[in-house]
Amino acid sequence: MTSNTLIGGAVAADDLIEDLEPGAPVKRYWLVRLVSIVAVLAIWEVAGRQVNPLFMAYPSDIVHAAYRMIASGELLAAFLDSMKTLTLGFILACVAGVALGLLIGRYRYVDAATDWLVNALYATPLVAITPLVILWFGLGFPAKLFIVFILAVFPVLINTASGVRNVASQLIDVGTAFAATERQIFGKIILPAALPFMMTGIRLGIGRAIIGMVVAEFFTAINGLGALIIKYGNQFETAAMFVPILCLMLMGVVYTTIALRFEHWVAPWRFTDDE
Amino acid sequence: MNQIVLKEDVMNANPAQKVKLAVSGICKTFRIRNANGQQSSFLPVLRDVGFDVYENEVVSLIGESGCGKTTLLRTIQGLIRHDSGTIKVDGQEVKSAGRDRGFVFQQPSLLPWRTARENVEFGLELQGMAAGERAERARKLLALVGLGHAAEQFPHQLSGGMQQRIGLARALAIDPTILLMDEPFSALDAQTREVLQKELLRIQAQTRKTILFVTHDLDEAIYLSHRIIVLAAKPGRVKEVITLPFAGERPELPVMRGDPEFQAIRAHIWDLIRSAPANS
Ligand SMILES: Nc1ncnc2c1ncn2[C@@H]1O[C@H](COP(=O)(O)OP(=O)(O)OP(=O)(O)O)[C@@H](O)[C@H]1O
Ligand SMILES: [Mg+2]
Repeated sequence: MTSNTLIGGAVAADDLIEDLEPGAPVKRYWLVRLVSIVAVLAIWEVAGRQVNPLFMAYPSDIVHAAYRMIASGELLAAFLDSMKTLTLGFILACVAGVALGLLIGRYRYVDAATDWLVNALYATPLVAITPLVILWFGLGFPAKLFIVFILAVFPVLINTASGVRNVASQLIDVGTAFAATERQIFGKIILPAALPFMMTGIRLGIGRAIIGMVVAEFFTAINGLGALIIKYGNQFETAAMFVPILCLMLMGVVYTTIALRFEHWVAPWRFTDDE
Repeated sequence: MNQIVLKEDVMNANPAQKVKLAVSGICKTFRIRNANGQQSSFLPVLRDVGFDVYENEVVSLIGESGCGKTTLLRTIQGLIRHDSGTIKVDGQEVKSAGRDRGFVFQQPSLLPWRTARENVEFGLELQGMAAGERAERARKLLALVGLGHAAEQFPHQLSGGMQQRIGLARALAIDPTILLMDEPFSALDAQTREVLQKELLRIQAQTRKTILFVTHDLDEAIYLSHRIIVLAAKPGRVKEVITLPFAGERPELPVMRGDPEFQAIRAHIWDLIRSAPANS
Protein backbone atom coordinates (compact mmCIF):
# COMPACT_ATOMS: atom_id res chain seq x y z
CA MET A 1 0.00 0.00 0.00
CA THR A 2 3.01 2.27 0.15
CA SER A 3 4.75 1.00 -2.95
CA ASN A 4 4.56 4.25 -4.85
CA THR A 5 5.42 6.58 -2.01
CA LEU A 6 9.13 7.02 -2.31
CA ILE A 7 10.05 9.07 0.73
CA GLY A 8 10.45 7.44 4.14
CA GLY A 9 8.67 10.16 6.07
CA ALA A 10 5.74 10.15 3.72
CA VAL A 11 5.41 6.42 4.10
CA ALA A 12 5.16 6.69 7.86
CA ALA A 13 2.54 9.42 7.63
CA ASP A 14 0.60 7.48 5.04
CA ASP A 15 0.57 4.37 7.20
CA LEU A 16 -0.51 6.35 10.20
CA ILE A 17 -3.53 7.68 8.40
CA GLU A 18 -4.41 4.25 7.14
CA ASP A 19 -4.06 2.76 10.59
CA LEU A 20 -6.59 5.26 11.89
CA GLU A 21 -9.20 4.22 9.35
CA PRO A 22 -8.47 0.61 8.42
CA GLY A 23 -10.13 -1.47 5.72
CA ALA A 24 -12.14 0.30 3.04
CA PRO A 25 -10.17 3.56 2.70
CA VAL A 26 -7.12 1.74 1.31
CA LYS A 27 -9.25 0.43 -1.55
CA ARG A 28 -10.73 3.85 -2.02
CA TYR A 29 -7.25 5.38 -2.44
CA TRP A 30 -6.48 2.85 -5.14
CA LEU A 31 -9.70 3.65 -6.92
CA VAL A 32 -8.84 7.36 -6.88
CA ARG A 33 -5.41 6.55 -8.22
CA LEU A 34 -6.82 4.40 -11.03
CA VAL A 35 -9.34 7.04 -12.05
CA SER A 36 -6.61 9.67 -12.11
CA ILE A 37 -4.37 7.47 -14.30
CA VAL A 38 -7.16 6.77 -16.78
CA ALA A 39 -8.13 10.44 -16.87
CA VAL A 40 -4.59 11.61 -17.57
CA LEU A 41 -4.13 9.03 -20.33
CA ALA A 42 -7.45 10.01 -21.90
CA ILE A 43 -6.66 13.72 -21.86
CA TRP A 44 -3.21 12.98 -23.29
CA GLU A 45 -4.71 10.87 -26.06
CA VAL A 46 -7.25 13.52 -27.02
CA ALA A 47 -4.96 16.53 -26.67
CA GLY A 48 -1.99 14.73 -28.24
CA ARG A 49 -3.92 14.14 -31.46
CA GLN A 50 -4.48 17.89 -31.87
CA VAL A 51 -0.75 18.66 -31.81
CA ASN A 52 1.71 18.35 -34.67
CA PRO A 53 3.11 14.74 -34.30
CA LEU A 54 6.59 16.25 -34.50
CA PHE A 55 6.23 17.79 -31.05
CA MET A 56 4.07 15.34 -29.21
CA ALA A 57 2.96 11.75 -29.37
CA TYR A 58 -0.16 10.25 -27.86
CA PRO A 59 -0.56 6.96 -25.96
CA SER A 60 -2.02 4.73 -28.68
CA ASP A 61 0.67 5.95 -31.09
CA ILE A 62 3.36 5.14 -28.53
CA VAL A 63 1.93 1.67 -28.03
CA HIS A 64 2.12 1.08 -31.77
CA ALA A 65 5.72 2.25 -31.88
CA ALA A 66 6.58 0.06 -28.90
CA TYR A 67 5.05 -2.95 -30.64
CA ARG A 68 7.17 -2.30 -33.75
CA MET A 69 10.34 -1.86 -31.72
CA ILE A 70 9.74 -4.98 -29.65
CA ALA A 71 9.01 -7.02 -32.77
CA SER A 72 12.25 -5.91 -34.43
CA GLY A 73 14.22 -6.79 -31.28
CA GLU A 74 15.63 -3.27 -31.18
CA LEU A 75 14.10 -2.34 -27.85
CA LEU A 76 15.20 -5.49 -26.05
CA ALA A 77 18.78 -5.13 -27.29
CA ALA A 78 18.94 -1.53 -26.16
CA PHE A 79 17.31 -2.38 -22.86
CA LEU A 80 19.73 -5.21 -22.11
CA ASP A 81 22.66 -3.05 -23.05
CA SER A 82 21.52 -0.29 -20.70
CA MET A 83 20.83 -2.77 -17.94
CA LYS A 84 24.32 -4.16 -18.26
CA THR A 85 25.90 -0.72 -17.79
CA LEU A 86 23.53 0.25 -15.03
CA THR A 87 23.70 -2.96 -13.01
CA LEU A 88 27.44 -3.39 -13.14
CA GLY A 89 28.22 0.29 -12.50
CA PHE A 90 25.72 0.40 -9.69
CA ILE A 91 26.99 -2.72 -7.96
CA LEU A 92 30.54 -1.38 -8.12
CA ALA A 93 29.32 1.93 -6.70
CA CYS A 94 27.53 0.18 -3.82
CA VAL A 95 30.55 -1.94 -2.91
CA ALA A 96 33.00 0.96 -3.07
CA GLY A 97 30.57 3.40 -1.45
CA VAL A 98 29.82 1.15 1.50
CA ALA A 99 33.47 0.22 2.07
CA LEU A 100 34.74 3.80 1.87
CA GLY A 101 31.76 5.09 3.83
CA LEU A 102 32.49 2.70 6.68
CA LEU A 103 36.11 3.82 6.82
CA ILE A 104 35.26 7.52 6.60
CA GLY A 105 32.49 7.30 9.17
CA ARG A 106 34.61 5.27 11.57
CA TYR A 107 38.01 6.92 11.43
CA ARG A 108 38.32 10.65 12.02
CA TYR A 109 41.62 10.81 10.14
CA VAL A 110 40.27 9.20 7.01
CA ASP A 111 37.36 11.61 7.23
CA ALA A 112 39.60 14.65 7.60
CA ALA A 113 41.75 13.49 4.70
CA THR A 114 38.84 12.98 2.33
CA ASP A 115 35.82 15.04 3.39
CA TRP A 116 36.70 18.11 1.29
CA LEU A 117 37.08 15.97 -1.80
CA VAL A 118 33.94 13.95 -1.17
CA ASN A 119 31.86 17.05 -0.49
CA ALA A 120 33.23 18.89 -3.52
CA LEU A 121 32.61 15.94 -5.83
CA TYR A 122 29.16 15.29 -4.40
CA ALA A 123 28.19 18.92 -4.94
CA THR A 124 29.53 18.98 -8.51
CA PRO A 125 27.03 17.96 -11.18
CA LEU A 126 29.29 15.17 -12.29
CA VAL A 127 27.61 14.72 -15.64
CA ALA A 128 29.67 17.79 -16.50
CA ILE A 129 32.80 15.67 -16.71
CA THR A 130 31.28 13.27 -19.23
CA PRO A 131 33.26 14.69 -22.21
CA LEU A 132 36.44 14.28 -20.20
CA VAL A 133 35.57 10.70 -19.28
CA ILE A 134 35.03 9.97 -22.97
CA LEU A 135 38.44 11.38 -23.73
CA TRP A 136 39.90 9.02 -21.15
CA PHE A 137 37.99 5.85 -21.90
CA GLY A 138 36.73 6.30 -25.45
CA LEU A 139 33.13 5.78 -26.57
CA GLY A 140 32.77 2.20 -25.36
CA PHE A 141 31.45 0.39 -22.33
CA PRO A 142 34.18 1.50 -19.84
CA ALA A 143 33.27 5.19 -20.22
CA LYS A 144 29.60 4.49 -19.52
CA LEU A 145 30.46 2.26 -16.60
CA PHE A 146 32.66 4.95 -15.10
CA ILE A 147 30.00 7.64 -15.37
CA VAL A 148 27.35 5.45 -13.74
CA PHE A 149 29.80 4.55 -11.01
CA ILE A 150 30.97 8.07 -10.26
CA LEU A 151 27.41 9.40 -10.09
CA ALA A 152 26.05 6.63 -7.87
CA VAL A 153 28.96 6.19 -5.50
CA PHE A 154 28.66 9.44 -3.55
CA PRO A 155 25.14 9.12 -2.16
CA VAL A 156 26.00 5.59 -1.00
CA LEU A 157 29.29 6.71 0.53
CA ILE A 158 27.95 9.80 2.25
CA ASN A 159 24.91 8.06 3.71
CA THR A 160 26.95 5.11 4.92
CA ALA A 161 29.45 7.42 6.61
CA SER A 162 26.75 9.46 8.31
CA GLY A 163 25.04 6.24 9.37
CA VAL A 164 28.22 5.11 11.08
CA ARG A 165 28.76 8.53 12.65
CA ASN A 166 25.20 8.78 13.94
CA VAL A 167 24.93 5.48 15.75
CA ALA A 168 23.26 6.39 19.05
CA SER A 169 25.84 6.66 21.79
CA GLN A 170 23.45 4.70 24.04
CA LEU A 171 23.87 1.69 21.77
CA ILE A 172 27.66 1.99 21.83
CA ASP A 173 27.40 2.22 25.62
CA VAL A 174 25.54 -1.09 25.65
CA GLY A 175 28.49 -2.68 23.87
CA THR A 176 31.00 -1.11 26.23
CA ALA A 177 28.96 -2.02 29.31
CA PHE A 178 28.90 -5.67 28.23
CA ALA A 179 32.68 -5.62 27.70
CA ALA A 180 32.56 -5.88 23.91
CA THR A 181 35.84 -5.59 22.02
CA GLU A 182 36.29 -2.87 19.40
CA ARG A 183 35.64 -5.41 16.66
CA GLN A 184 32.48 -6.66 18.33
CA ILE A 185 31.18 -3.11 18.73
CA PHE A 186 31.81 -2.50 15.05
CA GLY A 187 30.31 -5.77 13.85
CA LYS A 188 27.40 -6.15 16.22
CA ILE A 189 26.37 -2.55 16.83
CA ILE A 190 27.74 0.01 14.37
CA LEU A 191 27.26 -2.06 11.23
CA PRO A 192 23.66 -3.11 11.83
CA ALA A 193 22.78 0.35 13.13
CA ALA A 194 24.18 1.97 9.98
CA LEU A 195 22.52 -0.53 7.62
CA PRO A 196 19.32 1.49 7.12
CA PHE A 197 21.38 4.56 6.21
CA MET A 198 23.30 2.48 3.69
CA MET A 199 20.03 1.35 2.16
CA THR A 200 18.83 4.95 1.91
CA GLY A 201 22.09 5.86 0.16
CA ILE A 202 21.66 2.93 -2.19
CA ARG A 203 18.13 4.01 -3.02
CA LEU A 204 19.24 7.57 -3.74
CA GLY A 205 22.15 6.19 -5.74
CA ILE A 206 19.82 4.37 -8.13
CA GLY A 207 18.27 7.58 -9.43
CA ARG A 208 21.66 9.08 -10.08
CA ALA A 209 22.94 5.89 -11.67
CA ILE A 210 20.09 5.97 -14.20
CA ILE A 211 20.81 9.63 -14.98
CA GLY A 212 24.48 8.78 -15.46
CA MET A 213 23.61 5.90 -17.76
CA VAL A 214 21.35 7.99 -20.00
CA VAL A 215 23.78 10.90 -20.23
CA ALA A 216 26.63 8.55 -21.09
CA GLU A 217 24.53 6.91 -23.79
CA PHE A 218 23.57 10.33 -25.18
CA PHE A 219 27.21 11.20 -25.56
CA THR A 220 28.41 7.91 -26.95
CA ALA A 221 25.17 7.44 -28.92
CA ILE A 222 26.04 3.91 -30.01
CA ASN A 223 23.75 1.64 -28.06
CA GLY A 224 21.41 1.50 -25.09
CA LEU A 225 18.12 3.27 -24.40
CA GLY A 226 19.79 6.70 -24.41
CA ALA A 227 21.15 6.12 -27.91
CA LEU A 228 17.69 5.02 -29.02
CA ILE A 229 16.23 8.30 -27.75
CA ILE A 230 18.85 10.28 -29.69
CA LYS A 231 18.29 8.19 -32.82
CA TYR A 232 14.50 8.63 -32.94
CA GLY A 233 14.80 12.24 -31.83
CA ASN A 234 17.04 12.95 -34.81
CA GLN A 235 14.61 11.15 -37.09
CA PHE A 236 11.69 13.19 -35.68
CA GLU A 237 9.86 9.99 -34.74
CA THR A 238 8.46 11.32 -31.52
CA ALA A 239 6.27 8.33 -30.65
CA ALA A 240 9.22 5.94 -31.01
CA MET A 241 11.31 8.29 -28.91
CA PHE A 242 8.82 8.04 -26.08
CA VAL A 243 9.20 4.25 -25.86
CA PRO A 244 12.74 4.22 -24.38
CA ILE A 245 11.80 7.17 -22.17
CA LEU A 246 8.94 5.16 -20.69
CA CYS A 247 11.30 2.20 -20.31
CA LEU A 248 13.63 4.40 -18.26
CA MET A 249 10.76 5.56 -16.12
CA LEU A 250 9.71 1.98 -15.49
CA MET A 251 13.28 1.04 -14.64
CA GLY A 252 13.52 3.85 -12.09
CA VAL A 253 10.22 3.00 -10.46
CA VAL A 254 10.95 -0.73 -10.26
CA TYR A 255 14.43 -0.29 -8.86
CA THR A 256 13.43 2.36 -6.35
CA THR A 257 10.48 0.30 -5.17
CA ILE A 258 12.68 -2.74 -4.68
CA ALA A 259 15.19 -0.63 -2.74
CA LEU A 260 12.45 0.84 -0.59
CA ARG A 261 11.05 -2.62 0.17
CA PHE A 262 14.55 -3.69 1.12
CA GLU A 263 14.89 -0.68 3.38
CA HIS A 264 11.72 -1.69 5.21
CA TRP A 265 12.96 -5.22 5.44
CA VAL A 266 16.35 -4.46 6.96
CA ALA A 267 15.01 -1.87 9.41
CA PRO A 268 11.36 -2.52 10.21
CA TRP A 269 11.65 -0.48 13.42
CA ARG A 270 12.12 2.73 11.45
CA PHE A 271 8.68 2.45 9.92
CA THR A 272 5.28 1.95 11.46
CA ASP A 273 3.94 -1.58 11.29
CA ASP A 274 2.08 -2.61 8.17
CA GLU A 275 -0.13 -5.07 10.02
CA MET B 1 0.34 -9.95 56.73
CA ASN B 2 0.24 -6.21 56.90
CA GLN B 3 2.46 -6.23 59.90
CA ILE B 4 5.81 -4.56 59.41
CA VAL B 5 8.82 -6.28 60.84
CA LEU B 6 11.03 -3.74 62.52
CA LYS B 7 14.59 -4.35 63.46
CA GLU B 8 17.19 -2.08 64.95
CA ASP B 9 19.68 -2.33 62.16
CA VAL B 10 19.60 -5.05 59.57
CA MET B 11 23.21 -4.76 58.58
CA ASN B 12 24.57 -4.61 62.10
CA ALA B 13 22.38 -7.53 63.01
CA ASN B 14 24.33 -9.59 60.52
CA PRO B 15 28.03 -8.79 60.96
CA ALA B 16 29.03 -11.70 58.73
CA GLN B 17 28.10 -9.60 55.68
CA LYS B 18 30.80 -9.65 53.09
CA VAL B 19 31.73 -6.48 51.20
CA LYS B 20 30.82 -7.04 47.55
CA LEU B 21 31.52 -3.65 46.06
CA ALA B 22 33.94 -1.23 47.64
CA VAL B 23 34.03 2.29 46.26
CA SER B 24 36.52 4.71 47.74
CA GLY B 25 37.82 8.18 47.06
CA ILE B 26 36.19 8.55 43.64
CA CYS B 27 36.76 11.96 42.07
CA LYS B 28 35.59 12.95 38.65
CA THR B 29 35.84 16.32 36.92
CA PHE B 30 34.39 16.92 33.49
CA ARG B 31 36.07 19.33 31.15
CA ILE B 32 33.48 21.45 29.41
CA ARG B 33 34.42 22.74 25.97
CA ASN B 34 32.93 25.88 24.57
CA ALA B 35 31.04 25.85 21.32
CA ASN B 36 34.18 26.98 19.50
CA GLY B 37 36.13 24.19 21.22
CA GLN B 38 38.71 26.67 22.46
CA GLN B 39 38.43 27.63 26.09
CA SER B 40 37.44 24.99 28.57
CA SER B 41 36.11 25.09 32.06
CA PHE B 42 36.08 22.34 34.63
CA LEU B 43 33.05 20.86 36.30
CA PRO B 44 33.77 18.82 39.41
CA VAL B 45 30.99 16.25 39.55
CA LEU B 46 32.18 13.71 42.11
CA ARG B 47 34.42 14.43 45.06
CA ASP B 48 35.82 11.72 47.28
CA VAL B 49 32.83 9.42 47.00
CA GLY B 50 33.19 6.24 49.01
CA PHE B 51 30.88 3.50 50.27
CA ASP B 52 30.59 -0.26 50.55
CA VAL B 53 27.83 -2.49 49.27
CA TYR B 54 27.45 -5.86 50.95
CA GLU B 55 26.66 -9.17 49.35
CA ASN B 56 22.95 -9.68 48.55
CA GLU B 57 22.22 -6.15 49.57
CA VAL B 58 20.09 -3.62 47.72
CA VAL B 59 21.46 -0.10 48.05
CA SER B 60 19.86 2.99 46.55
CA LEU B 61 21.67 6.11 45.50
CA ILE B 62 19.50 9.15 45.84
CA GLY B 63 20.14 12.86 45.36
CA GLU B 64 18.93 15.87 43.47
CA SER B 65 19.03 15.98 39.70
CA GLY B 66 22.51 16.60 38.35
CA CYS B 67 24.33 15.57 41.53
CA GLY B 68 26.27 12.88 39.69
CA LYS B 69 24.34 9.67 40.29
CA THR B 70 24.54 8.53 36.69
CA THR B 71 28.19 9.56 36.49
CA LEU B 72 28.97 7.52 39.60
CA LEU B 73 27.16 4.43 38.33
CA ARG B 74 28.78 4.68 34.89
CA THR B 75 32.15 5.06 36.58
CA ILE B 76 31.58 1.86 38.54
CA GLN B 77 30.59 0.05 35.34
CA GLY B 78 33.70 1.33 33.57
CA LEU B 79 31.83 3.45 31.03
CA ILE B 80 33.56 6.59 32.34
CA ARG B 81 37.12 6.81 33.56
CA HIS B 82 37.45 8.42 36.98
CA ASP B 83 40.26 10.80 37.93
CA SER B 84 41.16 9.12 41.20
CA GLY B 85 39.88 6.57 43.66
CA THR B 86 39.37 2.84 43.48
CA ILE B 87 36.52 0.49 42.72
CA LYS B 88 36.81 -3.04 44.01
CA VAL B 89 34.59 -6.01 43.37
CA ASP B 90 35.21 -8.87 45.78
CA GLY B 91 38.41 -7.15 46.85
CA GLN B 92 39.79 -6.98 43.29
CA GLU B 93 40.21 -3.59 41.68
CA VAL B 94 38.27 -3.19 38.41
CA LYS B 95 39.09 -0.66 35.72
CA SER B 96 36.76 -1.52 32.86
CA ALA B 97 33.48 -3.31 32.21
CA GLY B 98 33.39 -6.97 33.10
CA ARG B 99 30.91 -9.78 33.47
CA ASP B 100 30.90 -9.35 37.24
CA ARG B 101 28.72 -6.24 36.78
CA GLY B 102 25.48 -6.04 34.83
CA PHE B 103 24.10 -2.65 33.84
CA VAL B 104 20.47 -1.65 33.36
CA PHE B 105 20.14 1.67 31.55
CA GLN B 106 17.65 4.42 32.22
CA GLN B 107 16.43 4.10 28.63
CA PRO B 108 15.98 0.42 27.73
CA SER B 109 18.69 0.81 25.02
CA LEU B 110 17.79 -2.42 23.27
CA LEU B 111 19.27 -3.17 19.87
CA PRO B 112 16.26 -2.59 17.60
CA TRP B 113 17.33 -5.16 14.99
CA ARG B 114 17.33 -7.96 17.53
CA THR B 115 14.37 -9.82 18.95
CA ALA B 116 13.79 -9.81 22.69
CA ARG B 117 15.59 -13.13 22.97
CA GLU B 118 18.52 -12.01 20.84
CA ASN B 119 18.83 -8.86 22.94
CA VAL B 120 19.02 -10.94 26.09
CA GLU B 121 21.64 -13.12 24.41
CA PHE B 122 23.82 -10.12 23.57
CA GLY B 123 26.27 -10.38 26.46
CA LEU B 124 26.51 -14.16 26.12
CA GLU B 125 27.17 -13.87 22.41
CA LEU B 126 30.06 -11.50 23.12
CA GLN B 127 31.50 -14.13 25.43
CA GLY B 128 31.30 -16.68 22.64
CA MET B 129 28.67 -18.98 24.14
CA ALA B 130 27.18 -21.50 21.71
CA ALA B 131 23.90 -20.46 20.07
CA GLY B 132 21.78 -23.25 21.49
CA GLU B 133 23.00 -22.77 25.01
CA ARG B 134 22.50 -19.04 25.04
CA ALA B 135 19.03 -19.27 23.51
CA GLU B 136 18.01 -21.61 26.28
CA ARG B 137 19.48 -19.28 28.89
CA ALA B 138 17.75 -16.27 27.33
CA ARG B 139 14.39 -18.05 27.36
CA LYS B 140 14.77 -18.85 31.05
CA LEU B 141 15.57 -15.23 31.84
CA LEU B 142 12.71 -13.92 29.76
CA ALA B 143 10.44 -16.23 31.70
CA LEU B 144 11.94 -14.89 34.93
CA VAL B 145 11.02 -11.32 34.00
CA GLY B 146 7.58 -12.48 32.85
CA LEU B 147 8.16 -12.18 29.11
CA GLY B 148 8.40 -15.81 28.04
CA HIS B 149 5.69 -15.21 25.44
CA ALA B 150 7.44 -12.26 23.76
CA ALA B 151 10.80 -13.89 23.05
CA GLU B 152 10.60 -13.56 19.27
CA GLN B 153 9.20 -10.04 19.16
CA PHE B 154 11.19 -6.94 18.28
CA PRO B 155 11.60 -4.05 20.74
CA HIS B 156 9.43 -1.69 18.67
CA GLN B 157 6.57 -4.14 19.05
CA LEU B 158 6.79 -4.06 22.86
CA SER B 159 5.73 -1.55 25.49
CA GLY B 160 8.17 0.56 27.49
CA GLY B 161 7.70 -1.63 30.56
CA MET B 162 8.35 -4.78 28.55
CA GLN B 163 11.47 -3.23 27.03
CA GLN B 164 12.77 -2.33 30.47
CA ARG B 165 12.22 -5.94 31.61
CA ILE B 166 14.26 -7.13 28.63
CA GLY B 167 16.99 -4.71 29.66
CA LEU B 168 16.94 -6.32 33.09
CA ALA B 169 17.00 -9.84 31.63
CA ARG B 170 19.92 -8.84 29.39
CA ALA B 171 21.89 -7.68 32.42
CA LEU B 172 21.01 -10.83 34.37
CA ALA B 173 21.95 -13.08 31.44
CA ILE B 174 25.69 -12.70 31.93
CA ASP B 175 25.11 -13.79 35.54
CA PRO B 176 26.80 -10.80 37.15
CA THR B 177 27.21 -10.73 40.91
CA ILE B 178 26.30 -7.05 41.00
CA LEU B 179 23.48 -5.29 39.18
CA LEU B 180 23.88 -1.58 38.54
CA MET B 181 20.57 0.05 37.71
CA ASP B 182 20.23 3.67 36.62
CA GLU B 183 16.70 4.88 37.30
CA PRO B 184 15.40 1.86 35.39
CA PHE B 185 11.75 2.55 36.12
CA SER B 186 11.66 6.34 36.00
CA ALA B 187 10.33 6.53 32.45
CA LEU B 188 7.39 4.26 33.24
CA ASP B 189 3.88 5.03 34.43
CA ALA B 190 3.07 4.61 38.12
CA GLN B 191 1.30 1.25 37.81
CA THR B 192 3.95 -0.39 35.66
CA ARG B 193 6.61 0.99 37.94
CA GLU B 194 4.99 -0.54 40.99
CA VAL B 195 4.67 -3.91 39.26
CA LEU B 196 8.32 -3.86 38.23
CA GLN B 197 9.47 -2.83 41.69
CA LYS B 198 7.75 -5.88 43.11
CA GLU B 199 9.22 -8.01 40.33
CA LEU B 200 12.68 -6.71 41.13
CA LEU B 201 12.34 -7.66 44.78
CA ARG B 202 11.14 -11.11 43.75
CA ILE B 203 14.00 -11.54 41.30
CA GLN B 204 16.49 -10.31 43.85
CA ALA B 205 15.22 -12.80 46.38
CA GLN B 206 15.45 -15.54 43.77
CA THR B 207 18.86 -14.71 42.30
CA ARG B 208 20.52 -13.23 45.40
CA LYS B 209 22.11 -10.44 43.37
CA THR B 210 23.75 -7.43 44.95
CA ILE B 211 22.02 -4.35 43.57
CA LEU B 212 23.08 -0.72 43.41
CA PHE B 213 20.07 1.23 42.32
CA VAL B 214 19.90 4.89 41.30
CA THR B 215 16.59 6.62 41.73
CA HIS B 216 15.12 10.00 42.51
CA ASP B 217 11.92 8.46 43.82
CA LEU B 218 12.05 8.38 47.64
CA ASP B 219 9.30 5.79 48.00
CA GLU B 220 11.01 3.54 45.53
CA ALA B 221 14.32 3.84 47.38
CA ILE B 222 12.77 3.09 50.75
CA TYR B 223 10.66 0.25 49.38
CA LEU B 224 13.48 -1.53 47.56
CA SER B 225 16.59 -1.00 49.60
CA HIS B 226 18.33 -2.18 52.69
CA ARG B 227 20.30 1.04 52.77
CA ILE B 228 20.04 4.41 51.09
CA ILE B 229 23.02 6.57 50.21
CA VAL B 230 22.06 10.22 50.01
CA LEU B 231 24.34 12.26 47.77
CA ALA B 232 24.93 15.97 48.12
CA ALA B 233 25.36 18.01 44.96
CA LYS B 234 28.00 20.24 43.42
CA PRO B 235 30.21 18.36 43.66
CA GLY B 236 28.55 15.02 44.38
CA ARG B 237 29.59 13.45 47.65
CA VAL B 238 28.10 11.07 50.19
CA LYS B 239 25.97 13.06 52.57
CA GLU B 240 24.45 10.35 54.69
CA VAL B 241 23.95 6.62 54.63
CA ILE B 242 20.61 5.50 56.01
CA THR B 243 20.03 1.95 57.10
CA LEU B 244 16.39 1.01 56.77
CA PRO B 245 14.71 -0.84 59.58
CA PHE B 246 12.58 -3.02 57.32
CA ALA B 247 13.75 -6.55 56.75
CA GLY B 248 12.56 -9.76 55.22
CA GLU B 249 9.13 -9.80 53.56
CA ARG B 250 8.00 -6.29 52.81
CA PRO B 251 4.37 -5.34 52.59
CA GLU B 252 3.20 -3.71 49.39
CA LEU B 253 4.28 -0.16 48.83
CA PRO B 254 0.83 1.39 49.37
CA VAL B 255 0.63 -0.37 52.73
CA MET B 256 4.13 0.68 53.62
CA ARG B 257 3.31 4.28 52.90
CA GLY B 258 0.87 4.23 55.80
CA ASP B 259 3.55 3.15 58.25
CA PRO B 260 4.65 6.00 60.56
CA GLU B 261 8.25 4.81 60.47
CA PHE B 262 8.22 4.89 56.68
CA GLN B 263 6.89 8.42 56.81
CA ALA B 264 9.51 9.51 59.33
CA ILE B 265 12.33 8.15 57.18
CA ARG B 266 10.84 9.69 54.09
CA ALA B 267 10.64 13.09 55.77
CA HIS B 268 14.20 12.78 56.98
CA ILE B 269 15.61 11.97 53.52
CA TRP B 270 13.50 14.69 51.98
CA ASP B 271 15.03 17.20 54.37
CA LEU B 272 18.51 15.96 53.54
CA ILE B 273 17.99 16.35 49.81
CA ARG B 274 16.28 19.71 50.12
CA SER B 275 18.93 21.19 52.35
CA ALA B 276 21.68 20.05 50.01
CA PRO B 277 22.10 23.27 47.97
CA ALA B 278 22.36 25.41 51.11
CA ASN B 279 25.27 23.29 52.33
CA SER B 280 27.38 23.63 49.25
N1 LIG C 1 29.95 13.75 29.45
C1 LIG C 1 29.80 14.85 30.20
N2 LIG C 1 30.48 15.97 29.93
C2 LIG C 1 30.33 17.06 30.70
N3 LIG C 1 29.52 17.14 31.76
C3 LIG C 1 28.80 16.06 32.09
C4 LIG C 1 28.90 14.85 31.34
N4 LIG C 1 28.08 13.94 31.89
C5 LIG C 1 27.48 14.55 32.93
N5 LIG C 1 27.92 15.82 33.08
C6 LIG C 1 27.54 16.77 34.13
O1 LIG C 1 27.73 16.14 35.36
C7 LIG C 1 26.70 16.46 36.27
C8 LIG C 1 26.11 15.20 36.82
O2 LIG C 1 25.42 14.51 35.81
P1 LIG C 1 24.69 13.13 36.07
O3 LIG C 1 24.10 12.70 34.80
O4 LIG C 1 25.63 12.19 36.73
O5 LIG C 1 23.56 13.56 37.09
P2 LIG C 1 22.41 12.68 37.75
O6 LIG C 1 22.61 12.75 39.21
O7 LIG C 1 22.36 11.35 37.15
O8 LIG C 1 21.13 13.54 37.38
P3 LIG C 1 19.65 13.02 37.02
O9 LIG C 1 18.99 12.69 38.31
O10 LIG C 1 19.02 14.22 36.40
O11 LIG C 1 19.77 11.87 36.10
C9 LIG C 1 25.72 17.33 35.52
O12 LIG C 1 25.93 18.67 35.89
C10 LIG C 1 26.08 17.13 34.07
O13 LIG C 1 25.88 18.31 33.37
MG1 LIG D 1 20.98 10.31 35.82
